Amino acid sequence: MNERELEDAVSRLPKRIEPPRDLWPGIEARIAASRSWRRRWYWVPLAAAAALVFLLLARAERSAWDVTALAGRPLIGTTRLAASGRLRVGDWLQTDDSSRALIAVGRIGQVEVRPDTRVQLVVARANEHRLALARGTIDAKVDAVPRLFFVETPAGTAIDLGCAYTLETDSLGKGLLHVTAGEVEFQSGPRSSRVPLGAVAQIRPTGPGTPYVDDAPAALVRALVAFDFERGRGGGARATRTILALARPQDALSLWHLLQRVDPSLRGVVYDRLAALVPPPPGVTRRGAIALESRALEGYWTRIQRIHFRIMVLRGVREIDPRTGLAKPRVLSVP
Amino acid sequence: MPPPAPAADLVARAQAGDQTAFRELYREHAGRVYALCLRLTGDGRDAEERTQDVFVRLWDKLRTFRGDSAFSSWLHRLAVNVVLNERRTTGRRERRVMPTEDPDNVVGAQHAAPLHGSAGLSIDLERAIAELPDGAREVFVLYDIEGYAHGEIAQLVGIAEGTSKAQLFRARRLLREKLER
Repeated sequence: MNERELEDAVSRLPKRIEPPRDLWPGIEARIAASRSWRRRWYWVPLAAAAALVFLLLARAERSAWDVTALAGRPLIGTTRLAASGRLRVGDWLQTDDSSRALIAVGRIGQVEVRPDTRVQLVVARANEHRLALARGTIDAKVDAVPRLFFVETPAGTAIDLGCAYTLETDSLGKGLLHVTAGEVEFQSGPRSSRVPLGAVAQIRPTGPGTPYVDDAPAALVRALVAFDFERGRGGGARATRTILALARPQDALSLWHLLQRVDPSLRGVVYDRLAALVPPPPGVTRRGAIALESRALEGYWTRIQRIHFRIMVLRGVREIDPRTGLAKPRVLSVP
Repeated sequence: MPPPAPAADLVARAQAGDQTAFRELYREHAGRVYALCLRLTGDGRDAEERTQDVFVRLWDKLRTFRGDSAFSSWLHRLAVNVVLNERRTTGRRERRVMPTEDPDNVVGAQHAAPLHGSAGLSIDLERAIAELPDGAREVFVLYDIEGYAHGEIAQLVGIAEGTSKAQLFRARRLLREKLER
């Protein structure tokens, strides 16, 4: 076949070849699908915008806590709270001498705001709930894993470890932390106090004092306050000696804190007194405790805390040996 | 039977979203588009898919047709672009050897009926075209059958004009050799 014959053959090729089957149904279906998709895509930006608005609103809602007026008409910002309202991040809630309010702490607890209190919602996230207590008194009840709820005060931060407590402060940072369930850590810079249920910590602008049980003898409390806040006025060694002399086994939690706060030269006598009141658990050595090794301190704290909890939980039910945490045998009276 | 609507009217109605008019356009142009797709792809099933692609694309693009050229020319160009773009997208086209046991898939068998006295030669030619290497086949179909110039082909296929000429030369030589066997 030469070039010319090929050209002739090509020129005779049909311009149309009908498809062997009707392709229209497939085309129609794809067009319908394309229309459907177009319709859907057309709505995508709107749907996305709506979703964004919804998320922002939801986030805004989540970043606000419910507030209920318990008495009087507390203020949220400059607005009087009639019955209930929302406290948003950044908002201040203020009660006067005759008003009280209840704040729902997200979904993990609640805070009762007592009269003459000023509190601000600082953070309202699922993993962090944070209030600032400028002055006044709050009663907090939290049912959550530790370190989800924080209250900042002028003197430091109360860190919830799963508990209920009352926290009061003045605008300068002088106040009191009284824990009624669980445990709270009050932190101020490098200084912190662990306050378990049934214990109290005085707070000053310089930080938290040494915690003590709420039925501690008044003389012991005075000595602790002197030690913590009046060292320049003889609160150091003399207060330490007083504390050691007055301490009972149930005051071990105070001595455990004291061990870390006294002058290093006094740590030995503090440890010895503590060990005499509540023997250390196995593995905790005198040298380790005096060197403030965290392993020794944590081991000792665990023991003290366990005994303390047993005493508190079983108070009025069983008499617990404050040295060991074991229940004392019942003495049966013989008629 | 009502007379067929004028092409311009069908196009205008289809542009307005009239799917019935669009179906008429399909009926009118399917044979031409399918022939092009069949020759460019060298495969019956691919040609069906590409034909559908062309008309789906046409539905999307129809509103952009402004009547600057004949609708059939515009559609033809669209069809060429669809087929060539598909080849570029897939990156390669497997050389398809038509299974002889599947008569529907044999290029040439599908249009044996319309052919006249030289039917045998036409079928052989279609078959030979389908068996050409991809590049040579595309250039041959576009130049010798569809009447595109080398410059246009170079632009459409994405090759140099000289390459288009070389591919045409190669295609013709291969076809002559095949048809002489």
